[in-house]
Amino acid sequence: MRKLKTAYELVEAYRNGSLDPVEHAWRVIEEIGRWEGRVNAYITLEAPEAIIIQAEEARERYRRGEHRPLEGVLVAVKDNISTSFMPTTAASRMLEKYIPPFNATVVERLVRAGAIVVGKTNMDEFAMGSTSEFSAFGPVRNPWDLERVPGGSSGGSAACLAYGGCDLSLGSDTGGSIRLPAAYTATVGIKPTYGLVSRYGLIPYGNSLEQIGPMARSVKDAALLLEVIGGWDPRDSTSLRIDPPKLSNLEPLEPGEASLCVPREMVEGSEEPVAKVFWSLMGKLESEGFEVLEASLPEVSKALPAYYIIALAEAASNLARYDGGLYPREDVEAGDYWRHVAEARARGFGWEVKKRIVLGSYALSEGYRDEYYIAATKVRRLVRDAVLRLARKCIIASPAAPILPPRLGERITDPLLLYAMDVYTVVANLAGVPALAMPAGFSQGLPVGVQFMAYRLGEDLLVRLGLTVEEMTGLRGVAAGEG
Amino acid sequence: MKAKIGLEIHVQLSEAGSKLFCDCDSEYRKYPPNRNVCPVCLGLPGALPVPSKRALTLALAAAKAFNCKIPERIVFTRKHYFYPDLPKNYQITQFEKVGGAPVCLGGYVEFLNTDTWEWVRVGIRRVNLEEDPGRTYYEGDILTSRYALVDFNRSGVPLLEIVTEPDVRSPREARLLVEYILLTLEYIGATNPRLEGVFRVDANVSVEGGERVEVKNIGSTLDVEKALKYEIGRQTMIVERGGKVERETRHWDAARGVTKPLRYKEEEAEYLYFPDPDLPPVRVTEDLLAEASKTASRSPKAIFETVRKLGVKREIAWSIVSSPPAADRFLEAVRLGGDPQVLARMVGVDYKGELRERGLDPNDPSRWPPAKTLTELAKLVSTGEYTYDSIKGLVLPRLAENPGVEVKAVLPEKVSDIDSLVEEVLKREVKAVRDYLSGKKKALNYLVGAVMRAARGRALDPREARKRLMERLESMKEPQGEG
Repeated sequence: MRKLKTAYELVEAYRNGSLDPVEHAWRVIEEIGRWEGRVNAYITLEAPEAIIIQAEEARERYRRGEHRPLEGVLVAVKDNISTSFMPTTAASRMLEKYIPPFNATVVERLVRAGAIVVGKTNMDEFAMGSTSEFSAFGPVRNPWDLERVPGGSSGGSAACLAYGGCDLSLGSDTGGSIRLPAAYTATVGIKPTYGLVSRYGLIPYGNSLEQIGPMARSVKDAALLLEVIGGWDPRDSTSLRIDPPKLSNLEPLEPGEASLCVPREMVEGSEEPVAKVFWSLMGKLESEGFEVLEASLPEVSKALPAYYIIALAEAASNLARYDGGLYPREDVEAGDYWRHVAEARARGFGWEVKKRIVLGSYALSEGYRDEYYIAATKVRRLVRDAVLRLARKCIIASPAAPILPPRLGERITDPLLLYAMDVYTVVANLAGVPALAMPAGFSQGLPVGVQFMAYRLGEDLLVRLGLTVEEMTGLRGVAAGEG
Repeated sequence: MKAKIGLEIHVQLSEAGSKLFCDCDSEYRKYPPNRNVCPVCLGLPGALPVPSKRALTLALAAAKAFNCKIPERIVFTRKHYFYPDLPKNYQITQFEKVGGAPVCLGGYVEFLNTDTWEWVRVGIRRVNLEEDPGRTYYEGDILTSRYALVDFNRSGVPLLEIVTEPDVRSPREARLLVEYILLTLEYIGATNPRLEGVFRVDANVSVEGGERVEVKNIGSTLDVEKALKYEIGRQTMIVERGGKVERETRHWDAARGVTKPLRYKEEEAEYLYFPDPDLPPVRVTEDLLAEASKTASRSPKAIFETVRKLGVKREIAWSIVSSPPAADRFLEAVRLGGDPQVLARMVGVDYKGELRERGLDPNDPSRWPPAKTLTELAKLVSTGEYTYDSIKGLVLPRLAENPGVEVKAVLPEKVSDIDSLVEEVLKREVKAVRDYLSGKKKALNYLVGAVMRAARGRALDPREARKRLMERLESMKEPQGEG
């Protein structure tokens, strides 16, 4: 384990002149060179010269006192978030050569805040996965243990933070895709309240569930990034008409300001090492004077199947557009329209994606729709109501994942085991509430993450609790590798 | 044989200004291929639809005009099918099931049967607001073409689908109904029915003892009548010969004037309907309804009744109402003090006729003079300063050429020297004069015509000419009597 500068510390150092943005950029480029061959966190990397030119501009702006909130900070962007200046593949062969003619709103906001986009991170194809193994560009490995996965689907965005290949990153979270990787790599990730961050430019998987969110090596960094990307966007009808949240200057939460609760259904199924680290953290919080209550959320048992039905139904619909027409494939011969479409989809999509399209189409089809899709939307309402009720009383705490980061290949052979990794995280997506995942501790040298959920737009509460927990664990700015 | 006819009328909201979910132009015809497009209407991954307020208002105004039950919330639904010109391979439409809600949940329309002058009521089953797909061009025929060329300029144009109950009694009434519905939408300001391809009609038709047959691809109101006549004739013949009319979908071949069975098999429809997660339900607020009602306040029926109350004959009244700019000018000119009878003739018969004769569109507002001009002309007739015929024959043609022109610039000079014209004619037309004097009274008509011609475009009241002629001819008789 080693400590790296957090983005917040970087900006401080740039501002007071103790660190040069160009020097830092070189250091990050070197880290990428050292690690990337083994980790595979990036699908596309910006050319070093281009990064350095931007860092020089940042240096100029600091010199002139015209720096913006993320001036000279190196940000990695998940490859399902559209960039007009780099390919955006969603880790699929289908979009291998696709360069969007527009930037996602979050990318626009990053660039306007002075951030430098270092590259596009590897992920599960179309964000469908929990391990970052289902990528057309090869699996991502966990810098803490290269035999293990970094979690998914935002595995690349977590892994580059964990080895120092970026200062901040953007992930997307449909059912845990930010929080699982954060937990598995000792980084911090926030799944924002549904509608807080614009989805414009996010290649959709499960539209009604997902949000783009910040990933970082500290709670304060994640808050800073969320502040930059959050707030109403007229191009996204589902975005909330609110100003960007104010999160970067908050104080740690004091005991008595809020209590925590642990629904037993959200910890019971955890592996022993995970449960141990989690309860030990809860114990520390209690000894600091925080009230930690036991609670029950029986609806959670139905959350996972409901989540998968809704996500897959939406996914099947979203992926219909990839027919070899607007996104042509060279390896498909011209011919009859139907054969052409079938062949493009056969060659362009990976196995997991095809499986999910079939399941999603099934859930929506005549005669099965009521039994699956409609039933799932009803369960979703039950889960949402239960979570909202509980979140009014307390911050809901649980492990972020029931297991330690699995070895490559260990989980993906059995879909039920794979999907079960998301059991604690999907709840927040079904309910639309914010959730924070952050390091709770380590077990056998592997990171264990904790998750906190609050009421809608309770990001400030989560960030404040996160600052408190970070002080207790001391796990701020940690990275894999020898210091 | 008696037939049951139900219609599905698709009308583009060509006057909405923008496409349904983006800022591209709703009138796409003036662009070179694929130039009226953006990420949203190309369905690029991550681009999101934002409903156009104008299109929603127009659709709700149509629902008001058709006396519809309007839901509290409008829901957009995805309808999936693969087609090259459907960029997302799903269409955003409205559906009454699976939690959907179209702009109209049922209503009725009363149209004027201008053969019998009865108002006829037809039920409206529902009205959907949806996006039009792009256009596919084939080399020759859809079945033999080696490739398809796709133009997305039309993709996303707001389209209203109006579905009637099977209440329509005859092909003639089907045509009049479609014309009436288009006129209603024109009055709302929703569409210009004369644009190429702006509406399409599918008709369901059955005769007693037979199954329902759907006839697709009817592109003009005249063809609605022709296609239905043909189809009813075909079905009647089958029944009369003891055959069975099978349920099928046929295609109207306008060039040959026949319906033809589809040569390719229609798959059993499986559209995987579900509410579009990118589009939250639109609440139909009081404000939105008030705006829709205001927009829908001009209906052909209301205006027809207003015109009739002014004592205008129904044929002329309908002629006025069937051209919205004519109706506007007429009512305004009456308000300014013009005589309704004179104006009705001028607007509904003669000026409209002048436009038609020139091949100009009487529904194009720019072809019409301001109401003030018409009032001025009507007053000249009412005060007896000019005859209606001299206005009709000498002024209206010049106005039709140049509707903006001042009245005085086109007002003909009046003949001040009738007597000398009469003398000139009497001197020249010796034979006719002799005929008249010898008792052939008909010769007088000829002589009046000759005087009118001698006026050469100047205004002359033919009654005045006749009177003067008679006086002179009578005076010529006297010396003969003496001799």
